[in-house]
Amino acid sequence: GDNRTSVRTSNELIAYKNVNDQPTPREMMILVDQKNEAVLLPIYGIMVAFHISTVKTVSSQQDTNRNCYVRIIFNVPGTPFTPHDANSIKNQGAIYLKEASFRSKDPRHISEVVQQIKTLRRNVMARESERAERAT
Amino acid sequence: MADGHLFNNITLGGRGGTNPGQLRVHSGGILWKKQGGGKAVEVDKSDMVGLTWMKVPRSNQLGVRIKDGLFYKFTGFRDQDVASLTSYLQSTCGITPEEKQLSVSGKNWGEVDLNGNMLTFLVGSKQAFEVSLADVAQTQLQGKNDVMLEFHVDDTTGANEKDSLMEISFHVPNSNTQFVGDENRP
Repeated sequence: GDNRTSVRTSNELIAYKNVNDQPTPREMMILVDQKNEAVLLPIYGIMVAFHISTVKTVSSQQDTNRNCYVRIIFNVPGTPFTPHDANSIKNQGAIYLKEASFRSKDPRHISEVVQQIKTLRRNVMARESERAERAT
Repeated sequence: MADGHLFNNITLGGRGGTNPGQLRVHSGGILWKKQGGGKAVEVDKSDMVGLTWMKVPRSNQLGVRIKDGLFYKFTGFRDQDVASLTSYLQSTCGITPEEKQLSVSGKNWGEVDLNGNMLTFLVGSKQAFEVSLADVAQTQLQGKNDVMLEFHVDDTTGANEKDSLMEISFHVPNSNTQFVGDENRP
């Protein structure tokens, strides 16, 4: 019944099942994997996957030296409007990655990434809330 | 020095992305040279305190921890290299590499593990990422529950990567018992 639905939604938060499913870009750069609904971030020479549903907001900024910055904020418990409550109860004691900021050499790539993340997030959220509605 | 194994196309990973080069594993230790000269990393086997293997997408990563807390990461080993290198390292250095797994599930919650000067973020006992605290310029406590790490930034950082990490922050809920009080913060 109801119980099973909530368990399923929290288990759905899987970007990849296997290490080899994860794409490897030619360059170390932020990548949006539409198919697997994941954002890949270059952290210390490794691409680290985050499921789109963990992302809360994304924003970019450019300074006077034409450096471009992108900031990704993740969902953490205790902030309003986070759809994570089922998880935060389950993961008591866990530490959350809250934010990651990157500097980029390529403003065009960054604006593309920001758009892709926003669109993907919106689509996945819409689909999930529709599914949740149908389940009730 | 005819002994040992030679691997081409091994990248040294770190703060500034990755550098391709050549790695030689010999009876005295490990030597990595950057392609085209320049940077080299030499680790004497007596300085090695730990070795790890981690499977990464389409490759394998060898982690070498040395006495002073530094941790080098070499990527680019094929699956068949892992077995032969493991037995070679066992017999020459007397260290059995530990196996680590990379988390690809995409979760942003887990545990923080501090070892030497490495901070590891683990998701379900698998490693999501690892950062060196030696590269942290500043830490800040934001509010009661958030810890921010700011990384050193200069013109040379990220020479080999398009996007380079500047800041990360962790949210430590009140329910967490691992880090209690300010002085223990990562």
